[in-house]
Amino acid sequence: MALSSFEPNPVPTGGLLSLQDALERFLRNPAFSLGVSGYGAYPPVNVFDDGDGLVVIAELPGFEPSDVNVTGQNRTLTITSRRKGESGTGVVGFHRRERALGEFSRSIQLPDEFDLSRAAARYEAGVLKIQVPRRESAKPRQIGIQTA
Amino acid sequence: MVEQTLPNREKQPLQGREQTRPGRHFVPDVDICEYEHELRLWVDMPGVTERNVAVTLKDGVLVIEGFVDPSLYAGLVPRYTEYNVGNFYRQFSLSENVDESRIGAKMRNGVLELTLPKAEKAMPRRINVAAA
Repeated sequence: MALSSFEPNPVPTGGLLSLQDALERFLRNPAFSLGVSGYGAYPPVNVFDDGDGLVVIAELPGFEPSDVNVTGQNRTLTITSRRKGESGTGVVGFHRRERALGEFSRSIQLPDEFDLSRAAARYEAGVLKIQVPRRESAKPRQIGIQTA
Repeated sequence: MVEQTLPNREKQPLQGREQTRPGRHFVPDVDICEYEHELRLWVDMPGVTERNVAVTLKDGVLVIEGFVDPSLYAGLVPRYTEYNVGNFYRQFSLSENVDESRIGAKMRNGVLELTLPKAEKAMPRRINVAAA
């Protein structure tokens, strides 16, 4: 992987622009495989490295946090949930119905160097963020150089 | 509505409308439901909180804007991406008369819910028919 990092600009719009460019550059990055359930499944995911491990982010607006299930098994991270509709009484009719309702299950495979048993997930403002730390054994180690 | 497996629909980029803010904008998915006394809208804007949303109604045009916070991505280096992020924008011309003073808006789990009460003159009125 080429060395590349996203540096947020102190100017808000500049920060968003450079973030958008960075996300565009890694769109469906062929060098990073998610296993069988790759691009095309709901929800779309973005995968980042925060230095300590991977951060998987998915947009899931309108889900109840208690209804979002995240499980890790070996190398497989699975997200499942269901989005219910809002309605009520006295409905005359729907003018637009663009938001999909229903259930989903998405599994992605992470490289072996990440430890799903220590993963942590957070759901805020309709965005799910899962942090998966790197295994201790996979962290870079300084190799001492001996002199003769 | 019958429950289904959620389809993967790509975020819709905003087109045909020049923005003063640079970068990609997206069109949020919206449900609009009419009730007897009001219209209700649900607008999907993941990553937008109640502090970063703007709703205006002027001359019968409802404008909804949501702003995402790029600082949430500070220190994160992309490895693989499937979607982009950006601010949300959408506008509607309201055909119904809405009582602007009673519009309600709340944000929850990345969804903006708007309640637009119908103005009194727009309410259906039952006319009593007397026997001759």
